[in-house]
Amino acid sequence: MGLLNRRRETDGASPELDDARAETDRLRLELDRARSTLDGLPIGVVVVDADGAVVSRNRSASFGRGHSEVLISEAIDRQVRQALDGRESTAAVELFGPPKRVVQVRATPQADGGAYVVVEDISERARLDAVRTDFVANISHELKTPVGALAVLAEALSEETDLAVVHRLAGKMVDEAHRAATSIDDLLELSRIELGGSAVRDPVDVRQALREAVIRSLAAAEQRDIRIDLDEPVEPITVLGDRRQLVSAISNLIDNAVKYSEPGSDVYVSTTREQSRDHAWVGMQVRDRGIGIPAKDLDRIFERFYRVDRARSRDTGGTGLGLAIVRHVATNHEGDVQVTSIEGEGSTFTLRIPVAP
Amino acid sequence: MDELRRTYHDDLSQAKDELVRLAAVVTESIPRATAVLLDGDLEGADYIIRGDDEIDARALDLEEHCYQILALQAPVATDLRQVVALTKMVAEVERSADLLCNICKAARRIYGHELDPKLRGIIARMGEQAQQLYDAAIESFVENDAAKAAAVDDMDSYLDGLQKQFVQAIFESHAAGRIDLQVAVQLAVVARFYERIGDHAVNIGERVRFVVTGWLPEHKGAARFKYRTDVTGEIPRIPAASLPDAADGHD
Repeated sequence: MGLLNRRRETDGASPELDDARAETDRLRLELDRARSTLDGLPIGVVVVDADGAVVSRNRSASFGRGHSEVLISEAIDRQVRQALDGRESTAAVELFGPPKRVVQVRATPQADGGAYVVVEDISERARLDAVRTDFVANISHELKTPVGALAVLAEALSEETDLAVVHRLAGKMVDEAHRAATSIDDLLELSRIELGGSAVRDPVDVRQALREAVIRSLAAAEQRDIRIDLDEPVEPITVLGDRRQLVSAISNLIDNAVKYSEPGSDVYVSTTREQSRDHAWVGMQVRDRGIGIPAKDLDRIFERFYRVDRARSRDTGGTGLGLAIVRHVATNHEGDVQVTSIEGEGSTFTLRIPVAP
Repeated sequence: MDELRRTYHDDLSQAKDELVRLAAVVTESIPRATAVLLDGDLEGADYIIRGDDEIDARALDLEEHCYQILALQAPVATDLRQVVALTKMVAEVERSADLLCNICKAARRIYGHELDPKLRGIIARMGEQAQQLYDAAIESFVENDAAKAAAVDDMDSYLDGLQKQFVQAIFESHAAGRIDLQVAVQLAVVARFYERIGDHAVNIGERVRFVVTGWLPEHKGAARFKYRTDVTGEIPRIPAASLPDAADGHD
């Protein structure tokens, strides 16, 4: 009130003063705007003066006292020292977390002798790089191995006169041809699912889908002396989607559970319900008591052709595409797939799909 | 605050910050060492083992910094406890870093040997638990929170339980002929390393309680000792009823 009055008193009295005041207001507004823009950025920005004292930092660069954040702050200090010597410097800080992440810290000298630092989480970029390189290596492994074997077998066959050996070699060639065919089938299935998107939107009864998927895996389970327990939901649950895709996704999960379980153990298939303010989900859960998945592989197993243990994968006979298919089916149905696992205790996969309204 | 006190408090908070930074390196290295062990990552092992020299150097600097504060500022009461506790905590952190190196060296020794999923699972859980203990201990230090510091001790019993479970799993794995005796011994030692890291976190928690309350678990034992000498000596000064129960556990 007092301030307003005083301002009115000086109105017209001193035009220079009014101009200066208007200019100050304008600058303040601009500063506020710049500050709120910086605060809105997902990357951290820290500005220091020539003595290395922090002039300003945006919200993404306000670090707490958790150990990861302490280490990032330390990296910032290190880079700032370099920048104050006039050198632009970048460092990537690899943090084991949890969560595991890679943070890039880049310090740039400024004309006034100070510097600014940009802090950016590049975990996703680093992960995608790894996915890309591994994918090429893995796909050539999966496809070239049977083809290479075929070539060698055919060569041996062409010079073979002993009928018994010819039979044995031919049998092996059939196996390898089947292996290559399965890989190609799965690849085609995957690209169909990827391209198909959300084309089909039929009501699908979750109980029916679960039953069908369990029946598909029964033979394999029996062979390994594994019991599949299906705990059906009491009330029918309906989701909208492609019935064939959903059954194939659940069946992939059950197949894996059977494959990696100890003989004599059980696989437990059940459903969970989740309700948030504007969404209802059904989680189709497959739990096994198998060997489990190492923590470092957990976020990568849904990649195409990713193998936790390459040596073992040939025995279990999968193509390395099963979980990639599951993930795509989940995405197509606006859902997701999650996994928790402890080595030696087992894994639980949950396929979450929105419930039909 | 007069100028002298301000320098002192700046000095002390700098020392505290450095301890938090050192502890952050250790906390971060726990999952790193676990990954080294589980993935047979020799490069990672080398990284941690070489990094220990820097931790040693920084721990020494920090310790000297504390002595300097003691000598030049002569702090009293809580402040004195604060500085003394810091010198003790530096040793705990430094020793924990050594234990992580030992885990990496064990990883080198058992390189190429496959471990049962069950063993791997328990190793992963011991690593997680040790890290949680360290996080909690440092959090209590940063926040000067005696209640949180006291909780670290209870959290540690879970890690102790895992260690026992792990040793049992080693016996089973060895009996089934899946691991050699040499690997079994290395693994048992590794479990001990994790358990010790947990103990160091508990010690840090106890130092935090000491700063806040002036109490140390050793006081219980010391009081018992005093009582015993009194009854065998001449005048028992402390009535037996006011003594802490000896069956409370060893302190």
